[in-house]
Amino acid sequence: MLQAAEKRIRKVKRNRTEFWMLLPSMIVLAAISIFPFFFMIYASFMNYTLDMDKPRFAGLDNWRNVFTSDTFWESWGRTAVYAGGGLVVQLALGVAIALLLYQIPKLRNLFSTLFMLPLFVAPIVTGLLWRFLLDPTYGLYNWFLQLLGLDIQVLGDTHYAMPAVILMDVWEWTPLITIIVLAGLQTIPHEPLEAAEVDGAGGWQKIRFVMLPMVRRMIVVALLIRSMDILRYVDTITIATEGGPADVTKIIGYYLMQVAFRFQDIGSAAALGLTMLLVSIVLGKFFMKVMRSEEA
Amino acid sequence: MAVNRRFLYTVLYVLMLAVLAWALLPILYMAISSVKTQVNMFSMPPKLIFEPTFDVYHDMFAGRGDFTEFLTNSVVVALVTTASSLVLGVMGGFALARGNFKREKDISFWIISTRMAPIPAVILPLYLIFSKLGLIGTTAGLMFAYTTFNLPFALWMMSTFFKDVPIDLEEAAMIDGCSKFRAFWRVAVPTAAPGIVATGVLCLMFSWNDYSFASIFTGNGSQTVPIAVSLLVSQQGIKWGQAMATGTVIIMPMLICGLMVRKYMVRGLSMGAVK
Repeated sequence: MLQAAEKRIRKVKRNRTEFWMLLPSMIVLAAISIFPFFFMIYASFMNYTLDMDKPRFAGLDNWRNVFTSDTFWESWGRTAVYAGGGLVVQLALGVAIALLLYQIPKLRNLFSTLFMLPLFVAPIVTGLLWRFLLDPTYGLYNWFLQLLGLDIQVLGDTHYAMPAVILMDVWEWTPLITIIVLAGLQTIPHEPLEAAEVDGAGGWQKIRFVMLPMVRRMIVVALLIRSMDILRYVDTITIATEGGPADVTKIIGYYLMQVAFRFQDIGSAAALGLTMLLVSIVLGKFFMKVMRSEEA
Repeated sequence: MAVNRRFLYTVLYVLMLAVLAWALLPILYMAISSVKTQVNMFSMPPKLIFEPTFDVYHDMFAGRGDFTEFLTNSVVVALVTTASSLVLGVMGGFALARGNFKREKDISFWIISTRMAPIPAVILPLYLIFSKLGLIGTTAGLMFAYTTFNLPFALWMMSTFFKDVPIDLEEAAMIDGCSKFRAFWRVAVPTAAPGIVATGVLCLMFSWNDYSFASIFTGNGSQTVPIAVSLLVSQQGIKWGQAMATGTVIIMPMLICGLMVRKYMVRGLSMGAVK
């Protein structure tokens, strides 16, 4: 009886220190999550521009404007192409390169370290660097294309600009998938692989039926992190194409920045931002589920 | 069989070298271009043998431009925000790992969803608050923005690192009369030190590499190096020589930092999901 009470007091006491240690972080987090969230809901119902002192109530005007504008749907459409295309390519390449590295144990560490380097390049530098490589007059990669008989202004062409910005994302972030999946592959015990061999499985069958299922969780984690970040960042596109040519690379994040800071329409920007937030919250839920599935 | 195997390995190595060429050629090309003269840099086919020149670097660091000012701002902002997000993140992460909070699941979800919030969606409200507080055009606003943006990541990472520190050590210290906080400071923090360094490096990288926040929150005198990059692009054209040199200066410190904490990179990049 006495012991139980003492235990409870100890527990409260123990948590008290932790409570005070966590509190400052929670306050700061509130400043970038709870407050902006409610602010955006408020602003989305207001007629609100940057130079305006007193926003006026606008009812559902902003929401109606946003949802009836073609640019909004087109931007989401392009975002889907950009994110979908980028993720599929970097997932396929990332897993393939991880398998490749797994097969060459001798130089695995050196190669994976070198392959990781693009991850550390600032996205703005990635955008400008690739713009240089693809420059129609001075670009190295453009010169390669010309050698192949392809004379195109990649970033200035409405057909090629989107694949090009996808390629930039693939270049920078495929290593993230590779090193996460490779870390998973390295934890696979030898027994199931040997068992598969005894059962007469070939190389491809071992990959398909033993290795890939065992790293499924890593693949999902990598994919989720990438899908959230591909929505988060617009730096590369900002400098490589500025959303052009003819808006073909204007993804939703870039459009939002334009509405907010060029057109200065805070109300519509808030409504737009909330649609983005919704998507990332859904992705966040998935992520939590995957994280917990490991703990269980 | 043996021949077959050797052939297979040759194919694998060739493939791997192709992959590395794809990943590293742009970076190498940038660094090489930055020490070429304008004429050499633009000549196609590319000149492989040339006399290196450091004129662009000389102009950047000793010339009349404000590059050194950008650089100073970047260094100060990155270091301050890394320190402040670590202080908050290490304490909070420890609390999350050890505490027994009622709504821990909700708190975790809150943290992770803050980490994932799209930057363009959050810049807007922050911009309005900052302009009310007069923080637009100062490095202080930027520091606050980066700290808050690094914090969810730091909290999350540190809680996974502290979960790996055996609790017995702290309990032993507490039996010896240490307070909970003292046990944290004297026992848990030193044990988790590599994790703290790795988390710090990733925070540093985010602050150093960011362009979005800096483009909105800074003004004359408070701009950082990513802004210096974007300023080289104008209607009149792009100053490629300077662009390549600036790019090289930006990525070098991050490459070094990244390689230093290589061992923990997987963990950091996967938000602690892979150890």
